[in-house]
Amino acid sequence: MAPADINILFYNSLRIRMFEERIIELYPSDKIQSPVHLSIGQEAVAVGICRPLKITDWVFCTYRSHAYYLAKGGDMRTMMAELYGKATGCCHGKAGSMHLASPEVGLMGSSAVVASTIPHAVGAALAAKILNKDQIIVAVFGDGAIDEGVYHESLNFASLHSLPVIFVCENNGWASYSHFKTRQSYNICDHALAYRVPATHIAEGYDFNKVCDIFSEIVTQVRQKRSPAFVEITTFRYMEHVGTGNDYANNIRDHAELTKWQSKDPLINDKTRIAACRAKIGREIDEAVAFAEKSPWPGRDQLLSDVI
Amino acid sequence: MSKQNIVYNDISSASEGKVMTYREAIAQTMRQALHDNPKVILIGQGVDDHKGIFGTTTGLINEFGAERVIDTPLAEEGVTGIALGASLNGLYPIMTHIRADFILPAMNQIVNLVAKYKYMFGGLFEVPMLIRVVIGRSWGQGAQHSQSLQSLFAHIPGLVVIMPSSSQSVLEAYPYITGRYRGPVISFEHRLMYDLKFNVGMERVGKQPMTSHRIREGKDITIVATSIMVMEALRAANHLSRVSDIDCEIIDLHCASHPDKALILQSIAKTGRLLVADTSWKAYGVCSEICRLICEHSPSILNAPVTTLGMQPAPCPTAKSLEDMFYPNLRDLTDAIATLVKSKNNHGVPLPDEKSMADVYKKFKGPF
Repeated sequence: MAPADINILFYNSLRIRMFEERIIELYPSDKIQSPVHLSIGQEAVAVGICRPLKITDWVFCTYRSHAYYLAKGGDMRTMMAELYGKATGCCHGKAGSMHLASPEVGLMGSSAVVASTIPHAVGAALAAKILNKDQIIVAVFGDGAIDEGVYHESLNFASLHSLPVIFVCENNGWASYSHFKTRQSYNICDHALAYRVPATHIAEGYDFNKVCDIFSEIVTQVRQKRSPAFVEITTFRYMEHVGTGNDYANNIRDHAELTKWQSKDPLINDKTRIAACRAKIGREIDEAVAFAEKSPWPGRDQLLSDVI
Repeated sequence: MSKQNIVYNDISSASEGKVMTYREAIAQTMRQALHDNPKVILIGQGVDDHKGIFGTTTGLINEFGAERVIDTPLAEEGVTGIALGASLNGLYPIMTHIRADFILPAMNQIVNLVAKYKYMFGGLFEVPMLIRVVIGRSWGQGAQHSQSLQSLFAHIPGLVVIMPSSSQSVLEAYPYITGRYRGPVISFEHRLMYDLKFNVGMERVGKQPMTSHRIREGKDITIVATSIMVMEALRAANHLSRVSDIDCEIIDLHCASHPDKALILQSIAKTGRLLVADTSWKAYGVCSEICRLICEHSPSILNAPVTTLGMQPAPCPTAKSLEDMFYPNLRDLTDAIATLVKSKNNHGVPLPDEKSMADVYKKFKGPF
């Protein structure tokens, strides 16, 4: 990997973190009236996944999609406006935080119903195959989604029809407040292999270089073989499931584990690079906030538009 | 009756002109859709087998190949989501469920995703697709092969729900939907009509085919009917025209989600009486919705209380003796019309000697 690329990965990861930290600052003002599911701690996964993808490759996401929106190249100003519920938002204020989309960069939708976009990725890959498009589709979901039946249906169909789709499981170990040990009787990668989908586990979800390197290989394979792949990336959600608080005040999770993970997090520990990037990113976020603040609300003419 | 001749002649004179069964009409539109647009795919459990969704997709695999005529795992939710993704990426999926009941495992995708994919993202996306489901009836279909679930879906903004009541209705609606319409449509076909021959070729001009149609003009009563109940209403109207002076106007609701409200209101303003005949339960359904329409707009146009006919408020029983009571038959319908028009129970109008609809339609060759 070229050094220049490493800087971009770092910069993009920090950009996501600082954006979400700004959300935390703004949240008490109620200017953002939308449930936010923050990716803080998981940014490196989104950046490492999106970097090897072409703009024509598609990503389908979840309600925790701020990181993917930015990593895939979505416009920060229209994203902030969307969080504010403004007419200039990427979805004209009808989506909010949980339904971000930006088709011009290949972010094709985010759903607040767990696992529900996974089959969309498979269907898009089916179309890519039938219509002979040189395109890879990525389904991003958490370990909670693997509990859902539709995940299994999707994996089976993708394997059966040999479709160019990559299933990316961001495994932070928690579905809201339910730990995976109370939910899953199987190993996630072994299970994917049972569907004859090659599975890779990346344990260092904080390491954007490693995620990017391994995922680049997988992208190359899928592009050549036109068949599915599965990637599980162990990561760490610093914040609570939804909102701007955390799970440590109530002893839901062990604070020592957070400290241990954070000791490896470059977005905390690489002080030199952080100092070099902060000012520029801060200005971009300031501009996005200003844009959102001054944008108009959607009006009555928007209420019933685009229903059918 | 000259009035019958000027209207939509689905079954009134099947011996003249071109006739086509409901099954043939659907099969023709399926083949045509695949032929006309290489981006159309047919996807569903059994679309490629020898029975081919009651003969509506038979042989299409040979003509268009397994890549476009796709048999699926038993995974209704997943396959519906796959259809959505395929639609986003340029294909036009036609999905099939041989019973309407089997769409229920796909409710999450249909209600949470398909219906909302355009609005929720501020109009960034369109997900055109046709979902065909078949309402079952008779021969012990029982509780889970007989449901007529149009109101569940018509309730949800973002979906268009149609109920083709004849071959002509299919021939008009399906090519329009698969060829020109850019949103998701759920079509409730009726199994009992598959073998029936209808007149075709008298295209209704000036209206897009996803709305309601007046199919019989009359002055005494407006009957708003759906699916196979449209045929029942026609049979009742024809009987009454022979044995009485009762003159029925019939509106084929056709589009349960987006009916032609003005047409319905105008008709009732003329006749002063309304009977709604639906294939499903009455509560919170088409019957209730048409009543809401009148109540909200102009209740004063009614000269009498509304009468509604639908399934009994129970799951569908399997025993024939019970099933025959579960559905309203021609006699019930005719009696209800005469009672409403004559404003009394002992109206004296001779009623048809009716066996169950299933018995009649199995032997039905048309014309009426």
